[in-house]
Amino acid sequence: MDTEQFLAIFKEINSAVLIEIGVVIIASLVFIWCSQKLLPMLANHLHGKQRLFVLALIPTVRVIVFIFAIVWIVPLVIEPTARNMVAILGAAGLAIGFALKDYVSSIIAGVVAVYEVPYRPGDWISVDGTYGEVKHIGMRAIEIVTPDDTVVFIPHLKLWSNLIHNANNGGPSLMCVVDFYLHPEHDANRVKHLLEDVALTSPYVQLAKPIVVVANEEPWGTHYKLKAYPIDPRQQFQFMTDLTARGKSCLRDLPVSFAQLSPEHAAQVGPY
Amino acid sequence: MAESNHWQLIPLEDFARPSAPASTLVQKVLIRLRNLVGGDADEDSTPEDQDFPHYREFDVEPAVAAVDQAWSELESVPKVRFVVSPPFSGSGAILRQWAQQHGYQQLKIPSIEQLESADTEDWWQAQKCERWLLDEFSSFWLRTTSHMQFVRALLPRLLRGELGEGVVVVDSWTFAFLQRAWPLSLPHCYCFAAATPDLLRQVCIEGSDKRLRKLAAKARGNMGVALALWALERDSERQAPQLPREADDGTAFILYALLLHHGLRGEHLQWVLPMLAPDQLDVQLLRLQQNGVIELDEEGVWRTTVYAYIDVRDFLAARGYWLDGF
Repeated sequence: MDTEQFLAIFKEINSAVLIEIGVVIIASLVFIWCSQKLLPMLANHLHGKQRLFVLALIPTVRVIVFIFAIVWIVPLVIEPTARNMVAILGAAGLAIGFALKDYVSSIIAGVVAVYEVPYRPGDWISVDGTYGEVKHIGMRAIEIVTPDDTVVFIPHLKLWSNLIHNANNGGPSLMCVVDFYLHPEHDANRVKHLLEDVALTSPYVQLAKPIVVVANEEPWGTHYKLKAYPIDPRQQFQFMTDLTARGKSCLRDLPVSFAQLSPEHAAQVGPY
Repeated sequence: MAESNHWQLIPLEDFARPSAPASTLVQKVLIRLRNLVGGDADEDSTPEDQDFPHYREFDVEPAVAAVDQAWSELESVPKVRFVVSPPFSGSGAILRQWAQQHGYQQLKIPSIEQLESADTEDWWQAQKCERWLLDEFSSFWLRTTSHMQFVRALLPRLLRGELGEGVVVVDSWTFAFLQRAWPLSLPHCYCFAAATPDLLRQVCIEGSDKRLRKLAAKARGNMGVALALWALERDSERQAPQLPREADDGTAFILYALLLHHGLRGEHLQWVLPMLAPDQLDVQLLRLQQNGVIELDEEGVWRTTVYAYIDVRDFLAARGYWLDGF
């Protein structure tokens, strides 16, 4: 295909077409900008499933507007025949393959993420050991905020090869696990029932979800895991603090002694 | 009187909430949207000194007759019967009247020491009787680990009939919590049927069938709430209290605790919500009081107001709380 043939793909672009393209782009950007401002504002007034649903609309709206703009603009610029499309896509694919592979891969992964939904705004996810709440899903990357209030940008590219751990998966249920380490000499069933009541009497607990206590005997004592769900995933750290504080107090009153780890047990034992 | 008495005591599982007309649902959605976009900024609507009309107290005799009728039809009298009472429904007052007429002794609530030690025997022996009414089941215990043990010790004794023949009045919010806290579902549970236009007329609320159906649906079939809403409707200068704009997680904890325990004293609220600092708790309580959402009675007990109850329930529902079945 020589230059003349390639240029023949394109339509004649006059000032009216340029204005139309400009208006479509600006309108799309304004619409996306508004949705990204208004929907989080609305979500902040909601809780639970409703909040997560509204947050999940943000990337979906952007992709829909993006596709709408492309469908509008492309026929203005080229004659949308099969032959022309193949030629354009071939040229674009070549450029992308050499220069913008990772960037475009992230964008495509972002589109995939919209319908596969491995994460949505409001989800609590862990990627490569970084845990936080998804605040924004952009075209190329997602923004998560860690419990220490650090914003971490994770490219959608990670979706192809990394494990994405999603703690609540679009719903308001997020399990919290609180550990208690006790001296081995105690009545395990009594401790189990007490810890269940500690969770049941927490103002944060989601009563619709189960409360589970798991015990595991270790050389230094007994390790209890109290598993329960907070009403709102955003309360997970206050919930865990409440369970820990009241759990310790109740266990002391029982009375049960806490495990005292010797230095050799306390030291991290590596594989070597 | 039997022909015109529309009160009905029914098995709990037969309760059906009156469905709201489409116009009420649309109105509710519009109010919700207005609140979301901040259109409720009518600061004068709930001033601190607003004196709401008190909802009317209805004649309990027809309701007592309905209890008699329902229980006289039973072939054998169970050892213990539970009457589940939505807030402000007046079930407690009705059952107290019924108990008085039938010689049922009103049980005293256990002391803090008895609750802490889960000593049900000591509590029972001090007031042992053949037939009794426990009308304060929701308010005598607190949501703490030690009090839960008392409740768990008491319920099996009640069901086994060790404490004789009795009637327990339990708030609907406490009942919902117990269903989660205690694995066995309670037998012989009753409640009053939802308010109908005929029943509303019986307690002197006037209006067309459509209007009364709308009122009953808005009040979720709760007679006390219906009376309060009707009183508000009649006084065009008054508006229902609204939750403060600053309502947050702490507000939800307080409101849920008050509904769960049928009201609480300040120190008991601090007990069940230890993560709220005393000054934070005071601020929350005073703000809610200023907005007419809660009130402090002469015994120093904080309670949600009947006028705010439906809003409070919606507020807790929107936050995913475990709600009552009414």
